[in-house]
Amino acid sequence: MYGRVVGVTVLGVGGHPVTVEAFVGRGLPSLTVTGLPGAAVQDARDRIRPAVEHSELEWPLRRVVINLAPGNLRKEGAGLDLPIAVSVLVATRQVPPSATVDHVFFGEISLRGEVLPTPGVISVAIAAMRRGLAGVIVPAANAVEAAQVDGLAVIAVTSIRDVVGFLRGTWTPPPVAGESVSPPARASVDLSEVRGQDEARRAIEVAAAGGHNLLMVGPPGAGKTMLARRLPTILPDLTRDEALEATQLHSVAGLLAGRGLLRERPFRAPHHSVSTAGLLGGGSTVLRPGEASLAHRGVLFLDELTEFRRDAIEALRQPLEDGAIVVTRAGGSVTFPARFTLVAAANPCPCGYAGDPRKHCRCRPDQHDRYRHKLSGPLLDRIDLRLTIPRLTKDELLGASSGELSSVVRDRVVAARERQRHRYAALGISSNADLPGPLARRAARLSDDAEELLARAVEHLALTGRGFDRVIKVARTIADLHQADRVAHAHVSEALSYRTAFEEDEDLPRAV
Amino acid sequence: MPFEEAGRPFGFPEGFGHAPAEGDAVLLLRCLLGPTPRSLHALIWAAGSASATVRRIRKGGAGSDNDRAFLGTADPAAIRERLAAIGARFAQPGDPDYWPAFLRLEDPPVGVFVRGRPLDPGDERVAVVGSRRPTPTGREVAADLASGLASCGIVTVSGGAFGIDTAAHRGALVAGGATVAVLGSGIDQPHPRGNRRLFADIESAGTLISEYPPGVPAEPFRFPARNRLIAALSRAVIVVEGATKSGARITAEHAMELGLEVFAVPGAVTNPLAETPLELIREGATLIRGLDDLLHDLGVDPSRIGRGRSAAGLSADERRVYERLAGPTLPTSVARDAGLSLEAAVAALIGLELRGLVRGRGGRFERTFAGRAADPSARRSSSEGSGRPPDG
Repeated sequence: MYGRVVGVTVLGVGGHPVTVEAFVGRGLPSLTVTGLPGAAVQDARDRIRPAVEHSELEWPLRRVVINLAPGNLRKEGAGLDLPIAVSVLVATRQVPPSATVDHVFFGEISLRGEVLPTPGVISVAIAAMRRGLAGVIVPAANAVEAAQVDGLAVIAVTSIRDVVGFLRGTWTPPPVAGESVSPPARASVDLSEVRGQDEARRAIEVAAAGGHNLLMVGPPGAGKTMLARRLPTILPDLTRDEALEATQLHSVAGLLAGRGLLRERPFRAPHHSVSTAGLLGGGSTVLRPGEASLAHRGVLFLDELTEFRRDAIEALRQPLEDGAIVVTRAGGSVTFPARFTLVAAANPCPCGYAGDPRKHCRCRPDQHDRYRHKLSGPLLDRIDLRLTIPRLTKDELLGASSGELSSVVRDRVVAARERQRHRYAALGISSNADLPGPLARRAARLSDDAEELLARAVEHLALTGRGFDRVIKVARTIADLHQADRVAHAHVSEALSYRTAFEEDEDLPRAV
Repeated sequence: MPFEEAGRPFGFPEGFGHAPAEGDAVLLLRCLLGPTPRSLHALIWAAGSASATVRRIRKGGAGSDNDRAFLGTADPAAIRERLAAIGARFAQPGDPDYWPAFLRLEDPPVGVFVRGRPLDPGDERVAVVGSRRPTPTGREVAADLASGLASCGIVTVSGGAFGIDTAAHRGALVAGGATVAVLGSGIDQPHPRGNRRLFADIESAGTLISEYPPGVPAEPFRFPARNRLIAALSRAVIVVEGATKSGARITAEHAMELGLEVFAVPGAVTNPLAETPLELIREGATLIRGLDDLLHDLGVDPSRIGRGRSAAGLSADERRVYERLAGPTLPTSVARDAGLSLEAAVAALIGLELRGLVRGRGGRFERTFAGRAADPSARRSSSEGSGRPPDG
């Protein structure tokens, strides 16, 4: 006796359809799974029989062979529990086979036959949609995710009994609300809450407008974290495609917690003790997306950049270059999207008070050098915008005006991004941050006095070639915020003002 | 101590280091690490000559077991060879490289090790000393003073340490002048190692001096002793910045004992690094606000040197911003004070920074020292005070 249903295994973020075949034949009662099952799938062997029997169905006391096709693909995850169980029910004719052909079954099951929340449902739904199937049968707890995919019937089930009822036509699944389950809630924080720090507020606006990565250097308590948290609130709203991508990653990581589509840009702030696998994704059996991927289409905030493990920081170069992370393990490799804005924060020196006019820095020069050395390197080359955040005095705080609302700033950001998209349409890039150096000069269209100012800056501020490109890119973004076609003197001036304590001249006199 | 303080003779006994075999004895004495310069000085007077002192230590009449162990194996010729290998030489009293003013110290060195150019008896030297962790302003003032001195042909002496010392040496070198670094470590291993390039530059354009033979590591207790040599080499000592009980204060005290002039650059009373200069000023040191004051007080005609950055050619915004900028100020505050938009204020600040008139630091902007000198109003009041014609 033979039965066949379709399941999905989620590898990385992608769902891969798996044909689950069941054969029930003569022999001692046993259950064998073939077709490269992973550890979690092997586990299913012992779970499924009690679950079926607990659902007042019959488990055949015969030899049962389950085959998972294609055989060359490693199958991971407990989501195959449900299709395996259903395939046996089909093979023993306890449910009609005709009802199972155009649905995907997905879900982990408990010993009592309940269908449990399972990570990756949105990826399953996307795979089902691409396969041209009519619907998905998924855990009720994750049904909202599946409902985000258009043109797919979502059958939300809580137990094997529901599934059987549906297949026999004796149970009608409850409707699943698709859109507007998670209200387009505005962020709980707003840029207007930042008091003072006009320069820093302006800088994160520039970062948002040009897609630039940002390094903030300042003493403890200056407000670096507060500012970073507000960067997502001034980024343009997620487009539907972006939201789907981000939601998939969060779904696979099991972080959606019953929500449907992500509406807010993600903000991830891993602790500096994070491992390379934790930051970039990985794991020994099931490959999970790391923090960098969870920040996809949002902001990855690394507070205390110098405290992070060097190898973890170095490994961030790949996603910063490619917008994706390839994790390779013995079983194969998976690609996690990871296109995020990096915001890093650091103290100006080990004691935190270098450059503070009121508190004397107590670090020795060699400590300074070592500290700077930690911060230098290839990662820093990918950070266009560097910013010094001073600790404000009481007077400066009291004299500070309250800032603009995030929504006002976001409108300017959206307009600036629109200009960039239009300008770079032919180049396949979307923002100034992605501009290659030589192109940046052309795109900038510097005015004469801006050109002259840059020349002076090269001489006096000892700008390197890369530093020069960074200034131009940032100046281009500032011009876009002003809706200006050419980069003018004032734009270059502002771009030049974004420097950190590390670049400020600590050394000795140059010739007068 | 075999001598009473009051009765200490100065210098060394007649014929010290000049009889045959005395030269090697002096070198050996200088290589002993046990006795302090003061006790060695006393010992030499008690024994009467260098070789007699060496004999006495060998016999156990003075010194430690370590000293005897050293004298048992030391070979003066090998030491001289080692010195020659690193381009260093030993100078004892009477040699051209042994600056005669060392003999005016209560605890003169029995000899010094020298690298680089010989000390020119015709040179005028001034010491610039201060904190190892100065403010940017302090650094700039020290460099500016040393550059100015160099352009008047005056040699800057300092201790080769990080901070003010480095700024002073560099300032002198940048202006094409000579400079002398007195080390607190062996002549072959100038400390700190982070200043290797500086020491190499000093060796080619100036002089490195150390009391310590090759192989002696830098240790904090040796630094105060080196300060007396800095003072003795100089005609005046300038203290730029120093916290209370700083090394700069020790140098200044040696200078006062030697009857030299002491100058101090003041700072805000709230600045911990102004402690030493302000203390010294209260005790009678001369307050200087910069190179003009110093040259005036040293009796050097300042019009000889061309310097000062021009405040001419500023835009209206830049001038507005510049006139209102005092201490470290946020761009926002600058904008408010000058009645400009933040963008305009930032543009003006960057323009001024590129002219070297202001400097960004920790997110705030302040005038540079050069900027202060270029400020027409500041310049006027300083020249009125001394009745000199304005220079520059």
